[in-house]
Amino acid sequence: MANINTSAKDRTFDAIVIGSGISGGWAAKEFTEKGLKTLVLERGRDVKHLKDYPTTNMYPWEFPHRGQIPEAIKAENPSISRCYAFKEDAMHFFVKDKEHPYIQDKPFDLIRGYQVGGKSLMWARQTQRWSNFDFEGPARDGFAVDWPIRYEDIAPWYSYVEKFVGISGNKDGIPNLPDGEFLPAMDLTRVETYFKDFVAANYKDRHVIYGRCAHLSEPQPIHIEQGRVKCQKRNLCQRGCPFGGYFSSNSSTLPWAEKTGNLTMRPFSVVHSIIYDEKKGKATGVRVVDTNTKEMTEYYANVIFVNAAAVNTNLILLNSVSNRFPQGLGNDSGVLGKYFAFHNYRGHISAQYDGFKDITTDGRRPTSAYLPRFRNVQKQETDFLRGYAAGFDGGRRLTSDNSGFGVGLKDKLSNEELGPWYVGSHMMGETIPKEESQLTLDKTSKDEWGIPTLHINVGYDDNDEKMLKDFFEQMTEMYTKAGFTNIQTSDSHQAPGLDIHEMGGVRMGHDPKTSMLNKWNQLHACTNVYVTDGACMTSTSTQNPSLTYMALTARAVDHAVSSLKKGDI
Amino acid sequence: MQVSRRTALKQVLMVSAGIALLPSCLHTTPATLKLKNLDVNGDDEKMLEELTATIIPTTKTPGAREVKAQQFALTMIDDCFNKEAQQKWMTGMKEFEALCKKQTGHSFVNSTPAERESLLQSLEKEEGPAAHFYKVTKRLTIQAYTNSEYYLTKVEEYELVPARFHGSIPVKDLTKKTL
Repeated sequence: MANINTSAKDRTFDAIVIGSGISGGWAAKEFTEKGLKTLVLERGRDVKHLKDYPTTNMYPWEFPHRGQIPEAIKAENPSISRCYAFKEDAMHFFVKDKEHPYIQDKPFDLIRGYQVGGKSLMWARQTQRWSNFDFEGPARDGFAVDWPIRYEDIAPWYSYVEKFVGISGNKDGIPNLPDGEFLPAMDLTRVETYFKDFVAANYKDRHVIYGRCAHLSEPQPIHIEQGRVKCQKRNLCQRGCPFGGYFSSNSSTLPWAEKTGNLTMRPFSVVHSIIYDEKKGKATGVRVVDTNTKEMTEYYANVIFVNAAAVNTNLILLNSVSNRFPQGLGNDSGVLGKYFAFHNYRGHISAQYDGFKDITTDGRRPTSAYLPRFRNVQKQETDFLRGYAAGFDGGRRLTSDNSGFGVGLKDKLSNEELGPWYVGSHMMGETIPKEESQLTLDKTSKDEWGIPTLHINVGYDDNDEKMLKDFFEQMTEMYTKAGFTNIQTSDSHQAPGLDIHEMGGVRMGHDPKTSMLNKWNQLHACTNVYVTDGACMTSTSTQNPSLTYMALTARAVDHAVSSLKKGDI
Repeated sequence: MQVSRRTALKQVLMVSAGIALLPSCLHTTPATLKLKNLDVNGDDEKMLEELTATIIPTTKTPGAREVKAQQFALTMIDDCFNKEAQQKWMTGMKEFEALCKKQTGHSFVNSTPAERESLLQSLEKEEGPAAHFYKVTKRLTIQAYTNSEYYLTKVEEYELVPARFHGSIPVKDLTKKTL
């Protein structure tokens, strides 16, 4: 590991990747496979596959609070405590609020994973492709700016990453949710199949499908070569998987990069800023604060990939000021940090179904069913823009009547019966990026690494409220017609951020006057810096975004390496 | 004799530990669990053990006593309840003991099985502080029991590695209950 006393030569690489999460891991794999000496900077600690999953084989009774988070931790860390996955078994993979404060101009619960692998360790693993109905959205509906790419530009890269990651799915033939390179799907449950058939028979252009997910339902040689084996359907993914059954940087891209001999991984390294050389007209390296010693060291490379997760990618660029770029690196347009958006996950609906009493499920499944967006797809048809996708999950639980006490109660607990089929959906709504939804640096306060504290000023708007109402109406109608009963809708009123799909601030676009990145994810004004994490997103659509980040990253590295060879960057 | 710094420190610690223990020694034994927030002593803990064992008794199979449900309940209330909920439970516990004395003439620990059952029977239908204490304790007792190693290996098997998922299987084809 380099330190401050080593020569500049020892601190010079072909490529630097900031961040080791889902997109940084892909940048590392692609660069090192193409023969570039690559430095990956990770602000958190190292987490080695298998070795650093302390809870992965623990039984429920081994957790002192059976999964619950103690009150003292909740009180100190209100934001992270609202995250569905912040439980006793995986809390060591999440950043506590007080470990890295930010200023909420409006309520925003930022969920972060500061470790090698980032949030790819705890992600929800849903992987749906975008289509041109998504890429053409802003241009058609007149918001944000036009995406500089279309489905055809990214489709081969979706295929490329899907084959390596391993995606379980069905070819559904839905125009607005293109099929990919799929491993076999797992089962839908009986009630999910029923609802799928019901919707197909009663609604034109609405579909219930198996939710495509990054799980090895049937590993191929490329996965075995990574050291990963078949998903064992444990549903304990957030602890890290000893089988490598789901995709993470730790189980897949990073060990793959390491095998090339071209990877240098440096944990405990907070990137303070990117160094811009005015004479050369490009970035030459990064300033890194060692989190243990608090010393600052510079590292150099010909190309820099910023994959620090959307919020911190914005923070690094905003803090990378120079004479040429007084408002942040590449920020001639003034749009850096603006047009930040997310997914609206506020709506939930649950119900039960009284049929199929003699049928149940057996085992566990790490995904659920999925309804691709059906609102405003072919044309504008509602009083709000865009639409939402929805999860759909149905199963049965063992239950008992817990009244009374003594031998009677014990008998009931010892002979639990299957309850009726439950069903439930959650909403994944597209939000419209707005200029006022932005990230800015505080003028005075700094974090413990000497970087200005970030303001987050992002909220819901009228479009989101109308869409939420429509989700409740449409789902209630479908549930009612399908014969589901005891239908309950609920608005969680959760703050943005808890969706963990924060996007934008460094958006792609054709025009340097209104966007930060070109169609290859290069900063318009500093072309050897690429941004391929959530920060690059021009709009959000409704799909879980990680698959798109991975595909954009592999495509951008390919472009960067050929540009380096041609001397273009 | 020269007293080393280490020895001196040790003596100070021993003396202060003695002082700290003294007041509770006068009344009763301390709880076996180290609690951060709850003021619960050994008698209270014994009462809780008897209460949980009345809720889920030992039969031919283990009950609340064997899975140490009272320790789990105390841990959860001490760590996972907020101050207000802790206070409400503590108040309820005192009321519960008082109610027991009023009904039976002695403490819950010294009550007969029939007296205990009649007390719990009445609380099942009531709302006050004592009933609140009973219902919260009962919920935690059930949680302790159904999440115990015994229950999750012998009653409903928790499989760490299921390695299968069938979405539609006749109920009659299931050979065991699994989670």
